[in-house]
Amino acid sequence: MSDLKNTNTHEWSDLHAEIQDWLAGYADGELDEHHTALVEAHLAGCKTCQHDVERQRILSERLQMIPTPGLSADFDGRLDIALANAPAGGKRPSGRRRMTNLKRWLSSLRPSVVIGSGGWAVALVLAAVLLMPSVTPDNINRIPMVSDVLNDYQRVALEELPIQAGSSEVSPPLPWANSRVLATWMTRVGGEPAQAYAIRQDNSLVIQYRISERVFFRNPDVRQAVARAGDFRTRADQLEVLGLPMEDSGLLVVAPAGNMPAVSESTTGAS
Amino acid sequence: MRSTGSRQQFDTLVRPWRYRLYGVAQRQAPSQEMAEDWTQETLLRAWRDFDQLDDHVAAYAWLLRILNRVVADDYRRDGRRQQLAPVLTTGDAVLNGYPCSAPGPFDQVLKNQSDAQVMAAVHALPDSFRQVILLRDFEELSYQDIAQILDLAPGTVMSRLSRARRLLAKRLIKANPSALATSHTKYTSVNPHE
Ligand SMILES: [Zn+2]
Repeated sequence: MSDLKNTNTHEWSDLHAEIQDWLAGYADGELDEHHTALVEAHLAGCKTCQHDVERQRILSERLQMIPTPGLSADFDGRLDIALANAPAGGKRPSGRRRMTNLKRWLSSLRPSVVIGSGGWAVALVLAAVLLMPSVTPDNINRIPMVSDVLNDYQRVALEELPIQAGSSEVSPPLPWANSRVLATWMTRVGGEPAQAYAIRQDNSLVIQYRISERVFFRNPDVRQAVARAGDFRTRADQLEVLGLPMEDSGLLVVAPAGNMPAVSESTTGAS
Repeated sequence: MRSTGSRQQFDTLVRPWRYRLYGVAQRQAPSQEMAEDWTQETLLRAWRDFDQLDDHVAAYAWLLRILNRVVADDYRRDGRRQQLAPVLTTGDAVLNGYPCSAPGPFDQVLKNQSDAQVMAAVHALPDSFRQVILLRDFEELSYQDIAQILDLAPGTVMSRLSRARRLLAKRLIKANPSALATSHTKYTSVNPHE
């Protein structure tokens, strides 16, 4: 912090001066327990620092609302050409990185069979994750709500689906023709409670997650996609996630790729 | 020649980040043309140095790190002078002229300004401030990731971000059209520390 040069003289304690550099960390929840306690003790007696924290939060939220500028198809194409013509540089042992990451990640999953019990196979899950091009574990973590629903989907598909009496009478947030709710449960998505609805759609397991609006719109990519296309999709070889804004909530749908029911198949609107 | 496999691997890891990367470039470039140049140069260097991508670093953080170097190289070539990064205190008079409990005057200041106006203020920040704001408030990266990307200690990321947001808040307040019409006008004289 060589650039620390507080030229204002004031009669506040040294802590008041030092803590001003920690306020972003406090506002962002990036401080450890010890520093959080120090800041909170100071805030209790310092109005200007209190206001600063509040101001940082408001400002940060405002900035998060600004959509990511789009990349033109023309430029995207030029990038492809530039890369295709680029000379080869260093050598990379093929497959190494992906495997180590996947091993690390898979080992954190609960070891279990890949076939669910309802008489129909959901043998897509691990393979799907292995093959998903844009959703390596690191990438998944970039959008916490997506990572949460993928994890929840896997957990359910790897375990036995809880069969609940009467759940077929439950209507999912986005009802489709010929679909049946197998089970519904509460889970957490993006740090907030969410309601999950497992639906059998032909021979695949589709899970809808009704999540809070706040969580749904937290990520700038999602906001931009929704602003542009009305929904947000992460496609993969074998699994896809669809995000839809609903009235007062958000909806994330996880389905095996190619088995995502069209939104227009919905028997009622997704308004 | 590089194998097709490593090209596929590169595309798999890097392509999903293309437009985000362009977004970060665009938000700090003086023109769209330059944003495109930086993005292309970043991807070409990423391809050249693909073997240096280490197992423990997320592809996106790695790309941003390269972008950061591309931008720095460009500015060095141009002999661009760094803008001074002023330090405001939480007791700054302009800031405190706009109490910020939401919804409140500060909230209103932000709502009064369009995305383009807010972006212009972000753009005008000193480089070291703009970088941390872009990576945190737009890209939502952790301090740890930002520290790696910018080669800084996490504590420095935190202090820069604290100062950057304070300066940005003050500039947005001053740019607020209604500021002139309020009794806070007396605070809009230039602070000697800014
Ligand atoms: Zn204080």
